[in-house]
Amino acid sequence: MRSFLRPPALIAAALTLALSGCGFSGTQTQAGQAAATADTNQRIVVDNFRAPVANWALESDAAYILSLSGCLETLTSYDQAAGKVIPMLATEWKQSSPVDWDFSIRQGVSFQDGTALTAESVAAALNHVLDAKVPARAFNRTMISNVTAVDGQTVRVSTPAENPLVPYRLASVNTGILAPAAYKDGAVDPFGHCTGPFTPVSEKAKQSLTLDRNEHYWGGDVQLAGAEVRFITNGATRAAQVQTGEADISLSIPVSSLSTLKSAPDVTVLGADSPRTATLYMNNGRAPLDNVDVRKAIRDSLDLDALAASVYEGAALPATGPFAPSEPWAGEKSEEQKQDLDEARKLLASAGYTADRPLEIIAIVERAEFADVAAVIQENLKNIGIPVTIQSKEYAAAEPDVLAGNYDMLLSQRNRLIDIADPIGFLTADYTCAGTYNLSHFCDPEYDRTITEAAKTVDTGRRYELYAKAGKILKEQAVNAWLVNEQATDAARTNVLSYVQDPLSRYVLTAKTAKSGS
Amino acid sequence: MIPFIAKRTATLVAAVAVSSFAVFLIPYFTPGDPVRKIIRSRVAGDAVDNGSVQALGESLGLHDPLAVQYFRWLGDVLSGDMGLSYVSRTAVAGQVLPALTVTLSLVTMALGIAVAVSLPLGIIAGLRPGSAPDKTITAVTQALIAMPEYWVAPVLVLVFALKLSVLPSAGWTDLSSAVLPALTLALRPISYFTSAVRAGIIDAAAADHVPAARARGLSHAQSVLRHVIPNGLVPLSTLFAVWFAGLLGGSVIVEVIFAVPGMGRLLFDAVINSDIPVAQGGVVVVVALAVGVTTLADFVHRLLSPAVGGSLA
Repeated sequence: MRSFLRPPALIAAALTLALSGCGFSGTQTQAGQAAATADTNQRIVVDNFRAPVANWALESDAAYILSLSGCLETLTSYDQAAGKVIPMLATEWKQSSPVDWDFSIRQGVSFQDGTALTAESVAAALNHVLDAKVPARAFNRTMISNVTAVDGQTVRVSTPAENPLVPYRLASVNTGILAPAAYKDGAVDPFGHCTGPFTPVSEKAKQSLTLDRNEHYWGGDVQLAGAEVRFITNGATRAAQVQTGEADISLSIPVSSLSTLKSAPDVTVLGADSPRTATLYMNNGRAPLDNVDVRKAIRDSLDLDALAASVYEGAALPATGPFAPSEPWAGEKSEEQKQDLDEARKLLASAGYTADRPLEIIAIVERAEFADVAAVIQENLKNIGIPVTIQSKEYAAAEPDVLAGNYDMLLSQRNRLIDIADPIGFLTADYTCAGTYNLSHFCDPEYDRTITEAAKTVDTGRRYELYAKAGKILKEQAVNAWLVNEQATDAARTNVLSYVQDPLSRYVLTAKTAKSGS
Repeated sequence: MIPFIAKRTATLVAAVAVSSFAVFLIPYFTPGDPVRKIIRSRVAGDAVDNGSVQALGESLGLHDPLAVQYFRWLGDVLSGDMGLSYVSRTAVAGQVLPALTVTLSLVTMALGIAVAVSLPLGIIAGLRPGSAPDKTITAVTQALIAMPEYWVAPVLVLVFALKLSVLPSAGWTDLSSAVLPALTLALRPISYFTSAVRAGIIDAAAADHVPAARARGLSHAQSVLRHVIPNGLVPLSTLFAVWFAGLLGGSVIVEVIFAVPGMGRLLFDAVINSDIPVAQGGVVVVVALAVGVTTLADFVHRLLSPAVGGSLA
């Protein structure tokens, strides 16, 4: 591909990097052409990395597609840049009792079928999600007991126990609100039933969703005439389409395509910390990894800079702990984990580890790069006298043994914000003694107390402090070796205006998203 | 004629029964819980709630004995109902038929290209075996076998979509979007078809009736046109059918790279996601079509081939 690059491509790439701030950190905005004006007759094409599989059931990941398409809206939304929940279809909310949250529904909003958004329609939509056979992670009967319309303007969400995170849960795309007519015969029909800036008008199964501008959008004038969201599961194809101009925005660009796109004319590459950290999970419940010194020795032996530069080709940053540094709950800025082989050998000797107990790393095959990551780790550990074998397995094949504690180390990664824009679910499931997804088999009473307190803390700042404290415990105990913070990378044509990258791809097309005519 | 059809119908029934049962067993004989796979296909993420696993397994009848599940499905299929997808809860037929239409179009185009290219090449090579054109054609077409689709496809995208900007890089919208996937799929059949046509022509040219025809006063060109080429093409009908059948469900790499919503992708996703009804429904249709096409090819071959004397017994 490089052979086709021309000098202007390199200049464009340099400008692109300058515009995009060069490095990766928080959310990035498509700077576009400062002087360019939006042409409201333009349509836009977005290449998305997944296709809807569950017939638009909102409890499934299909909700992400409806949300990024600018169709589906929720009561609240999450402002990535500000790190807080902000109003959307609800204008305000308050905790009316320890187990009740009241949301005031925005007035003057109509669904795309012309019916009015009311407290009753909101309650009905939310109850439909609650009653799903496979419930949504963010919003189900384990944490929500009931949703009722208190009056024409107020919806009450009740919880079994005090839950300060209800507004976060209602920012989850799975809690999107559709008109009552969307729910019939046990299925969900989003066509003409959303409230967002774009109305879905047609779907080509497994290929694309076409949307037109919602002329009556409550949030102001929509800057595009319409959009096509394509479902392109192959990353290289998404990259090629934004390069050729067939797509205006391509989401989730693979590492292997980055250098080409950064050099491509008329393409801007946007990067932000994703809530995913590639992690070497260690079985804290089985010897020799039940010894904290062995775990610390493993951590100290790793050369994360080399790992990020080689396997990830610089498209990921060395991890400093369980959180990405830009996350508001990451706490004080941590220093990068530096390789210290002498210290690692000392720790290993003090733990009494001998090489007659080799360790095994399971590298899940769903992430192709983990085979190379495992090889680098194998070499790093060899340097301190730990012989390592590598097993490549499908995650589904590894899971039973990992959950049962019959393993040494596992290379994997988790989305910390998979359910809501707050890490409580991840920190609870993955690291508390009773955690349902505690792959590390870690158990620490102080950690559990911290998480229990955080789960009840309404004040966001205080809650984040508690998350930072929990993260510190995990780090001090070297529960796992956190390797690199993965980056969410999107690419957009330079004539796309006002595109704000969302690392979780919930919000892509908004009323403000625009294209210049050129 | 009747024994031939009866024999082939029995083959069809046996093939459908065996393949559908094999597909049915895949999720149970590969590691991991099928219900968890179904849930993960709906909601990306690793942590799956045990309560959801239990409830979904119950509601889909996946806790019943395997034989009960299989014969329940078989009974439904025999009554014309392929059931609902475990993942989307929509009718399997509604997923299989559109995908089949796409794949039939793609495969027909690919094999059409392959025939159009390999016929002249095979005839030229077969009429002058050992000549420079024969050696060149053989070398080039043999090289095509060694080019994997996952390599050919990006190269074609690079040239025709990125460099020349004359064809779309992916999608399934109009004829132009089918060109690159069809071309990618056509390369290996071109190689096999050319080789088969060449061999057929050489055999036909060596047959006794060709000198006899020349002795009756036919010119070389006339004997080639009337006796060598028609007989030399007979093996192609069988090979065409085999490739047609194989590509119906076997074009998954091309379908993924070019975002083509065909049968290969449908079956691949269904197996990965433990969506047993879709996998079974798809396999039944593909196997039935494959057996049908190869039967038709056998029929044609037997009618045309002097070696089997036009027998259909």
